[in-house]
Parts: sequence; structure tokens; C-alpha cells
Amino acid sequence: MGNDKKAQKRKSSLTRTFGTQEVIVVGVIVILFLFFSLASQSFRRYTTVVTLCNYMYYILLMAIGVTFPLITAGVDLSIGTGIICYSIVGSYVISQMHMPVGVGMVVTMALALLFGFLNGIIIAKLDLPPFIVTLCTMMIVRGLGSILAGGLSGVWPMAGSPGSWCRSIFKINAGGKIIPIGMIWMILLIVIMSFVLRKTRTGRYIIAIGSNKEALRLSGVNVVKWQVAAYLISGFFAGLAAIAYACTFSNITPGTGAGLELDAIGGAIIGGTSMTGGSGSIFGTFLGVLVISLLKTGLPYVGLQANWQQIITGLVLIGAVTMDMTKRHKAAG
Amino acid sequence: MEKFKNQPFVKAIGFNRLVLIGVIILMYFLFALLTPILHGGASFLKYERVLSALNYAYFIGFLGLGVTFVIATGGIDFSIGPVMFTSALISGYCLKQYHLPLGLAIVISLLIGVVFGILNGYFVAYRFLPSFITSMASMQIAKGVGSVFTKTQSVTWPAAGMPNSWFRSLVRWGNVPTGLILLFVVAAICAVVLNKTKAGRYILCIGTNKEAVRLSGVNTKKWEMLAYVLCGLLAGAAAIFYVGAYTTVQPGLGDTFNNEAIAACVMGGTSMAGGIASMLGTVIGALIVALMQEGILAMGFTISYQYVLTGIIVLVAVTADTLSRKRKV
Amino acid sequence: MGDIILTMKGIDKTFPGVHALDHVDLEIRRGEVLALVGENGAGKSTLMKVLTGIYKKDSGTITYEGHPVEFNNPREAQDAGIVIVHQELNMIGHLTVAQNIFIGREPRNGPFIDDAKMNADAEKLFQELNIEIDPKETMSRLTVGRQQMCEIAKAISHRAKIIVFDEPSAALTDAEIAQLFKIIRDLRKKQLGIVYISHRMDEINQITDRVTVMRDGHNVGTMLTSKSSKEDIINRMVGRVIYENPKAQSNVKPDAPTVLKVEHLNAGRMVQDVSFELHKGEILGFAGLMGAGRTETARALFGADPKQSGEITINGKKVDIRSPEQAVRAGLSYLSEDRKRFGLMLKKSIAENSTITCLPKYCRGPFIDKHREREVSRKYVEELKTKTPSIDQMVINLSGGNQQKVIIGKWLIGDADIMIFDEPTRGIDVGAKQEIYELMNRLVSQGKSIIMISSELTEILRMSDRILVMCEGRITGELDIKDATQTKIMYFATQRA
Repeated sequence: MGNDKKAQKRKSSLTRTFGTQEVIVVGVIVILFLFFSLASQSFRRYTTVVTLCNYMYYILLMAIGVTFPLITAGVDLSIGTGIICYSIVGSYVISQMHMPVGVGMVVTMALALLFGFLNGIIIAKLDLPPFIVTLCTMMIVRGLGSILAGGLSGVWPMAGSPGSWCRSIFKINAGGKIIPIGMIWMILLIVIMSFVLRKTRTGRYIIAIGSNKEALRLSGVNVVKWQVAAYLISGFFAGLAAIAYACTFSNITPGTGAGLELDAIGGAIIGGTSMTGGSGSIFGTFLGVLVISLLKTGLPYVGLQANWQQIITGLVLIGAVTMDMTKRHKAAG
Repeated sequence: MEKFKNQPFVKAIGFNRLVLIGVIILMYFLFALLTPILHGGASFLKYERVLSALNYAYFIGFLGLGVTFVIATGGIDFSIGPVMFTSALISGYCLKQYHLPLGLAIVISLLIGVVFGILNGYFVAYRFLPSFITSMASMQIAKGVGSVFTKTQSVTWPAAGMPNSWFRSLVRWGNVPTGLILLFVVAAICAVVLNKTKAGRYILCIGTNKEAVRLSGVNTKKWEMLAYVLCGLLAGAAAIFYVGAYTTVQPGLGDTFNNEAIAACVMGGTSMAGGIASMLGTVIGALIVALMQEGILAMGFTISYQYVLTGIIVLVAVTADTLSRKRKV
Repeated sequence: MGDIILTMKGIDKTFPGVHALDHVDLEIRRGEVLALVGENGAGKSTLMKVLTGIYKKDSGTITYEGHPVEFNNPREAQDAGIVIVHQELNMIGHLTVAQNIFIGREPRNGPFIDDAKMNADAEKLFQELNIEIDPKETMSRLTVGRQQMCEIAKAISHRAKIIVFDEPSAALTDAEIAQLFKIIRDLRKKQLGIVYISHRMDEINQITDRVTVMRDGHNVGTMLTSKSSKEDIINRMVGRVIYENPKAQSNVKPDAPTVLKVEHLNAGRMVQDVSFELHKGEILGFAGLMGAGRTETARALFGADPKQSGEITINGKKVDIRSPEQAVRAGLSYLSEDRKRFGLMLKKSIAENSTITCLPKYCRGPFIDKHREREVSRKYVEELKTKTPSIDQMVINLSGGNQQKVIIGKWLIGDADIMIFDEPTRGIDVGAKQEIYELMNRLVSQGKSIIMISSELTEILRMSDRILVMCEGRITGELDIKDATQTKIMYFATQRA
């Protein structure tokens, strides 16, 4: 009897600090990590960490951004094709127009912010369903990158060329070993955006929109403004993700990217962001993205290539959303 | 103008759809005019162009017909393109590897479409998952399954003249665009199902007011799921028309076709809110999409322009539909 | 009792088809709790919504602290110090208590919100009100009672001078009500003007100083609480002249069989241990005030909402009803009170709406026999005298009364034997009302049995053979029509078990 109580107390203090969902996700991460480590010797090498970080950079950035529209009970589907489009245009500016890398970055961000704003204003002002609007921008963006860059593939400066400092934001070569220092920036961004979500009016009102938009409106707050802000944030991080993607990988093929947004959205949902709005945390998103990235990194080591990853990602997404819906149904009913 | 609108012939087809047919004719002449100018010397006025455009219209048309059922219930299906490819991949693979008769391969293709339809329909109708996320997830699963099955190889269906190639005559027989005939026939069947059967009535009513239908004693879950199953079935059928025109299928692709099928659907007058749908409109929409694609390429532009235009079209169509609905009520 | 802080004079408000407020006067005094009572549709909520800026009055004046005022939206009224604590709380569940109270006017520390200050300010507010709530608690985790106290705290933080409570005790436990009263007494001491809308006579007796009674959009009098009895108040609430006589006696044969027996139906707070019987050819009236649980009972019975327990016997056979599909198969039908949302497919035609309950009957194989469908819809349009140019007319274009006829028609086509009418004549003009009454009488004479939920006492008295009265989820009274009076019904309707 006394042991029961103690065990209960222990459990509740842990879950109280971090939230039940996050504890489960950490458990999943540990299980996955152990599974892959035991199943494959090659997984246990250092290069795996680098590969993992390569995925984490762009997926995590997308996911941090899309968490905000999700919290408003909306969604941004344009981020996947977005990161390809924005980075290709940036690449065009750098390699074809011979601009410095910094300018390329600015162009990438500007384009991303533009579409973020368009998404937000159409959704908020015309009151159209977010999935349709961002689906359309997804299509438009998909073709736009190719058109603006003349159909060329994109490559941001590789190691050795003058602009290659952009790559060392994310990885540096220290005596043969590649160190993914980009993770420092990631942690910084996680901390900053966590603050934005929980301690600024922007984050506060975005949560309120997802929780009870009418009540917020009746309190005299300009709901349109803050709904647009959510999609602007998503666009901003899509831009950062575009830069990360370009500086981590080599070739960027135009017209691709459809499906990448599901990794980000899936990560956010696994991490506790609900599709019904009102709840979500940046740290949770980070954990969810870690799960997705672990799967993407580890599955090839057990012989399951990209196609199996797609199946598993799809199943994981359905599973995560089903659990989310069941949770909300139980809470409401 | 009012007199014209009230003519019985106009009422039968629908004023909006006549406008769309007019758009097709206009587009054709526009392309015929611009192609020699923009693409030095090439001509748009050949019969081969028409057939080439039609090839594209067939499978988009079938996808569009299927997704019309789903949109009529107020949902959406983003998995149709990849499901079509997966059906073509798996049935084509079986055709070659196991030396199956063509008829059986076609049946397999249809069945695979149905399987994905059941998957989508179950989670949307019985588990209340949002249709867009469910179908996006099943889209990924479809891409993966197709690729795994064929071990990431692309699959080539029998070329003309080889044994087991009679499926090509479904698309084109000599100079006759049999595909177009079949598309209209199937569209007519779908229209009959939608407008004249119990299933179609329930599907449209669920899209209009699902709760009122439920409170009238109807098993709404069953009929909502049926819409997704029909969509899957037609995606499986679309596969045959794709390989009939293009022979080779590659795994992992297909999602651009989703957008075009949805564009065909909303252009044709189907409302994304549900309850209002037109199969004939979808077919006309598919023809427009196909013609647009052919024209864009003929004029020397890349397929990327097609993507951008498709996105704009859907956005405009949905906005127009939403605004007109808000005004009426 | 202090001086007058606010006067409403000659307030008039009409909605399409309903004269909600007919030259109503009201006086609110500082340091006083004024009860505002009346049955459903009497106008008390409407009057308060005019006061707090939610509705715009058609005519009349509001004088506040000596000056005439005009509020165009709730924010303006709030800024002036007039706040309403709604029955349906408008809280943002995912935020904390303090965050809710200060939403829209958060104190800031540079770019960040000063949560510490908000929490401290909220704590101070709660101390003033003698409430113990943790400002850092997530709103959705609080009980309804405590959420309501947060709403009161929020009102105070807006420096409210007048607070209107709309049915505040409906969702509270007894302990919470005691706490609420303590707060109200404190507010009264602080010279606020308080309006307390409620139907609970014992509470009115306990906490209020004066009572204003409303009836059919009129203010029919204000009395001192200490000098009025429950009967006095009820009499004024219902003391209208009825132009039609109530039904003299029940039309049900003494040997009529029981077609429906409900035993121990439980569905949450609103349906608690409800048991009753319905006889063949009977019109069983369900009376009660809003929130009594009648619609919830009907929906639980019909399988539209889940239930925790309950046995349903139809014509002697026990039936398992867990969905509307099963209910319809068992012969039940339910006509929702919200016609447009739950009863009709607005953008579809009369014909399509009519056959939706029994479409398989009008099919040949998988195909709809449109000829027979049109035939039967036309038949019922004629029989029910539905005014429409054709059966292809979209129902959204019909008037309320005709829409109701389409709904009745659809259930008749579906051959339902037991019909549950929920507010059958709400929003329908007088002429159409008569037609629907005649129709209902015809139906029972043909052997159907009807449960009629209604908030209109005249309607209940005119149509029912027997009356069941509900209050807050329980059946509190049963009356045969020959013994029924408005007063008796209202007595049961305000009787908390």
C-alpha cells in the first residue's frame, strides 16, 4: 500500500514536470535508439550522428514553424515544396546572378515570408479552410521555384568555394571529423521560440485562437492579425529550413519537396501538438522530430530503404493523429 | 441572356459547364495562335496534338471522377495519384513476373485502389480523422508500398504489338480516341450513381448536412466510407489509362496529379464544402487541365507553369464558391 | 439600498416574427441585488443583452450614472463598467486563470508578458473576493463553478459597477452556490448594482432584495423580495389571459396500451433517472424551463447521444437503441428544436428531404424511383398544406412553418408511430401554428403517439393529454390535463429535487 502511493507520487511528479505525452515520446526515442543500435553495428558509428543532424536541421526548423499554425487549429502544407523552391531561387541568385551567399539567404527568407504572409492573410481574411489554401500555395510554390530559376537544379556553394561559410553554420570539419555545430543554433531557436510561444502576446493569442477564437474576439483582440502572425512564423521557419537544407545537402532538384511537410507535421503531432488547436510545445515538437529523424536515419541500417520509410512515416502519422483524436474525444465527451 | 439560360438544352448541361466548354474552344485557338510564335515553327493544329492532350485527360479524368465522390461528402483525398501509380506498379509487376492474363492484372489494379479506399474511408468515417491528413498519410503509404513491391524498379507495361497489349486499344484504336469514349461512358455511370441511386443521394446529403442525415436514421458512416472506396476504385481504373498512354510507371511519384484532379473537380462546379457535385463538370475540367498542359508545353514553357496555374485555379475556384455561398445565405 | 445607477426606459426590440421586448422599463440600484425572473421567451436574457451591448435596441433610452448611453458592442459596455457573466462561459480553456482574466490587456516586461505580475494581480483579486483559486491553474481543469468565479473576478477587474448574472447557479454544487452568494453579498456591500437572472425561487429569496418579473416581453411588476412569496412570483410569471381554453380532459382511452416505456434513463447531468410511459393515441407534454433536460432526454432516448443506462420498451418489446438508425427502425422519430441545423438539408429540395428517413422504400434495387418519390412528397405537401410553388423548391426558401411541415412530412413518410416533437411551433407564425396543432391532433386520432416538448405553457395546456414536468435533469411532476394549470406546472418547473 505504501509502495503504491510512493510509485504514484513518483510518476506524477515526472509527468507533471514534462507532460505524459512527452514522457512517452522520450520512451519511444530510447526504444528506437536501442533497437537500431542492437540491430546494426554500422549504426553505432559516429557518422550516424551526423546523418541524424542532417535530417534534424531542416525537419526541426519546418516543424517549429508549422507548430504555430497547428496550434491555431490550422495547418501549413506549403512548407515542403516551399523549402525546395526558396532554396532554389536562392541558389539561382548566388550561382547565376553571382551574388554573395548572404544575399542569397536574404532572397530565400524574403520569398518564404511572402508566401507565409499570403497564406495567413487569405486564411484569416477570407475565412477559407487552411488545408485548401496552403495546398494551393504548395502547388504554386512547387512550380514557381523552377520557373524563377530557369529549371536548373540548385546548388549552394560547396566546400572550397568562396561562399561555403554557409555550410559551416551547420557542420565544421575538425581534423577529419565532422562536427554538427548547427545543433547549437537549433537549441537556441528551440529556447527562443519556446519563450515566444509561452511568454509573448503573439504566442498567447495564437494559443487562444486555437482554443476559443470567439472568446478572444469578444475580448477585443484583433484575431486576424495574430492568425496571420502564425503563418508568417511558419513561413519564416520554412525559409530557415530552406537554407539549412541547401547548406546540408548538395543538389536541390526543382519541383520536389512534396511530402517533406508531413515529416514536420508528423513530428509536431507526435510531440503533443493537437490538430484541434490550443495545445503544443516547442520542446515536444523537438522530441517528435527526433523520433521521425531517428526513423529516417536508422531504417536504412536495418535494410529498410526510403520506400519503407514512407510507409512507416505514413503509418506513424495516422497513428499519431488517431491517438490525438481519441484523446480529444475523451476529454470532450 | 436570361432567355438563353432558360433553354432546355442549356439547362440540361448547365450554364456554367457550357461556359467551360467555351473556355476549352477558346484555349484551343489561343494555343493554336501562340504556339508557332512562341515556339518557333511548331504547330498546334495537328490531330496528334489533340490525341496527346487527350491521353493526359483520361487518367486525370478518372482520378477526378473518383475524388468528386469524396468531395461531395465534404472530404478530400490526396492519395489518388500515388494510389494510381501503386496500382499500376503492382499489377504491372504481377503481369510480367507471374505471366498473368491482362484481365486479371486489370482486376488487381482495381482491387488495390479499393484497398486504399477502404483504408481512407475507415479512418475518416469511423475514426473521425480529418480527411486531408488521413489521405496524405495514406499517400505516403501508397508511395512506399508501390516502391517496396517492385523493389524500387519502374514497371513497363507491354508495348503495342506485344502479347497482352489489348489494353492499349482502351485508350486509342487506330485513330479513334477510345479513351475519350470510355471516359464519357464511365462519367455517365458515375453521374447515374451520384444522381439516381440511393448511394449517391446519401453521399450528397452527407456533404450537405451530415448530422441531419444521421438524425434521420441513416447509417452515415457506411455511406461516407463508400465514397472513399469508389474513389479508390476509380484510381485503380485510372492506372490502366495511364499505362495505356504512357507505358512506364515509376515508383514514388504521382502527387502532382492529385492537384490536377482536384482542380478539374472544382472547376467543373463541385463545391469543396460538399453536397453539390457534377461528374460532367469534372470531365470538362479534366479536358481543360489536359489541354492547358499540352498547350503550355507546346508553347515552349515547362510543366512548372502548369503547377502554378493549377494552384491558382483551385484557389480562385474555392474562393468563388465560398463567397457565393456566403452571399446566398 | 443606494441610489439608482441605471435606468432603462421604454426598451423595445423585435426579431423577425417575435416582439421580444415591448416597452420595458428597468431600474438598477447601487448596493442592491435585483432578481430578474420570467419563463423562457419572457425577454429577460434579451433585455440584458441589450444592456450589455450584445444586441441593439430598436427604441428606448438607457441612462447610466445620470447620462444617456448607447453601447454598440460588449467591449464598450465592459469599458463603461457593465459586465455580464454568461450562462455559457466564454473562457479560453487552454490558458491559465490569470491569463484568461487579463486577456487582451496583458502587463508587459519589455517584449515578454509579465506573468508574475498577472498572477499577483489575480491573486489580489481573488483575495478581495475571498475566493481560493490558483491563478496558475489551467482553465479547463477547473470545475464549471470555479470557472464562473474566474469570470466574476474578470468582471471585477474591469472595474465593473453593474454585474449581471445569467442563471449562475445552474452548474454549481451547493457548496459553490454558498460561495457565490458570499461573493455577491460582498459585491453588494461595495455598492455595485447586481442583476440576478434565475428561476430558483429559494435562491431569489435568499440573496435578492427586489424582484422584477417579465412576461411575454413586458415588465409586469417589481416587488420587494421580503414581501413576496413564491406563489406571488409564479402567479405574475404566468398570469396571462389565455384566449384559448386548455384542453378539458384527456382524449386517451382508459384501456389504451403503453406504446413506449422508458426506465431509469441516465445521460449525464441533464438526464437523471428519468422514467415514464407513453400511451397509444396520447399527446404527452414535456414542460420545463430551459436547461431542464427535456431535449437531452429525447436525444438520449433517440440514440442521438450516448447514455449511461436506461431500458426502453416499445409495444411490449425491449429494444436496444444506441443510434438514430436503431431508433428509427424501432418506430421512433425525433423532430429537433433546431430545425435548420439538425432537421433539414437546407440546400436540397422538399422531395429530397422528404424521403431521407426511408429512402430504401422508394428505390427499385439501387436506383431511386424518382417518380414514386415525387408522388409521395407531393401527396404530403398537399395533405399538410405546405405552401410552396413546387416540391423541387429548396427548403431554405420556405418559411419556418412550412419547413416544419416538410420535417413532419418526412417522418410521416417514414411511417413513425412514436413522434417526439421538440418545440414544434418555435419561430412559426400564428396561422401555421394552428395548422400544426390540428395536424398533431389528427395524427393521434389515427393511432400515433406523440411526445411534445414545449416551453410555451399555453401550448402545453392546449395540446397535452398528460404533462410531465422536468427540472434540472429530473422529472419533478406529473399532471393529468384536467388538473393542470400554469401555476402548477411552473411550480414543478422550479422545484429542484
